[in-house]
Amino acid sequence: MLARLSLALLLLITLPAQAAALMGFKDSAMLMSEFSTDRKELMLNYSPAVGHAFGVETMWMRGEKQTNLITNINYTGLIKRWNMPSGQANLWFMTGIGEASGDSSGFSYSPSVQFDYETTRVYFLAKARMVRAPHIQYDTYSLQGGFSFYETSFEETQPWIVVEARTTENMAMRNEITPALRLINQNYFFELGITNPWDSESRTPRLNLMLTF
Amino acid sequence: MKKLFVIAVLAIFTNTAFAATSIHAEVKGMVCAFCAKGINKKLRELDATQDVWVDLKNRMVVVELKDQKTMSLEAFTKLIKDAGYDVASVEYINKTLVEIKADHTHMKEVK
Repeated sequence: MLARLSLALLLLITLPAQAAALMGFKDSAMLMSEFSTDRKELMLNYSPAVGHAFGVETMWMRGEKQTNLITNINYTGLIKRWNMPSGQANLWFMTGIGEASGDSSGFSYSPSVQFDYETTRVYFLAKARMVRAPHIQYDTYSLQGGFSFYETSFEETQPWIVVEARTTENMAMRNEITPALRLINQNYFFELGITNPWDSESRTPRLNLMLTF
Repeated sequence: MKKLFVIAVLAIFTNTAFAATSIHAEVKGMVCAFCAKGINKKLRELDATQDVWVDLKNRMVVVELKDQKTMSLEAFTKLIKDAGYDVASVEYINKTLVEIKADHTHMKEVK
């Protein structure tokens, strides 16, 4: 009960997104989560070296026919980073193994790849992720694009407009389009969006926050 | 007399070398405050650091050093790399961080 309460509290205060950076700097920890009607995710990782992070993740997914809780230990690796004079691009690999429970249960695994590109004004991300366990398949494909109206200094908060298109196999809400307002500060990453805003039946808020410490 | 001249010249150059009060670097890939937090944090943890300025717009990092403290350019570059970025150029500057900021403000006004 205490564990569930703690998890719920963490989800409420740290609802993340898929940001360009999937880990912090060397010797840092990063907390990421996503919270929406059919999906709740929480991931905490620690980076002992540049380009490598180890952590744990938990995903609660409500599918078309079943509901599952998947808990994995995971690894995030930076395959390649391109540091350019006015931008940065990254190719990431992530994988997790653990256990699924709920309407189906057993060994779970969740490999994924992500590519992102970002300047101080423009942002793009593409991600493919397998989420598998016996009788469970929540493979997810997503694209994000965004822009900021102006550059800011390091101390200022920068607002971004971001749109994500995501499709997830076997989810209750399979296709999602989420326009969002993203605020990036040196201490946090905050995002508030509305999924499928034009559809009254599937319209749902999504709130994300990332913290590095 | 010659010896005195040589000593005087050496003293001037030596003084100039030690008078480097800041390190100035252009950093490639530094485009986001949330991502660049590591640079700021790690530099501030160093004993030699007096102050740090991360300028995202110009992809620039400046560290003002404490009096009598030194930091090698190699150590500085390693720290930036460990944060996930590349250093395009790095140099010592005999100016305080306030003076460097003032220079940049002046350059913007001229532009």
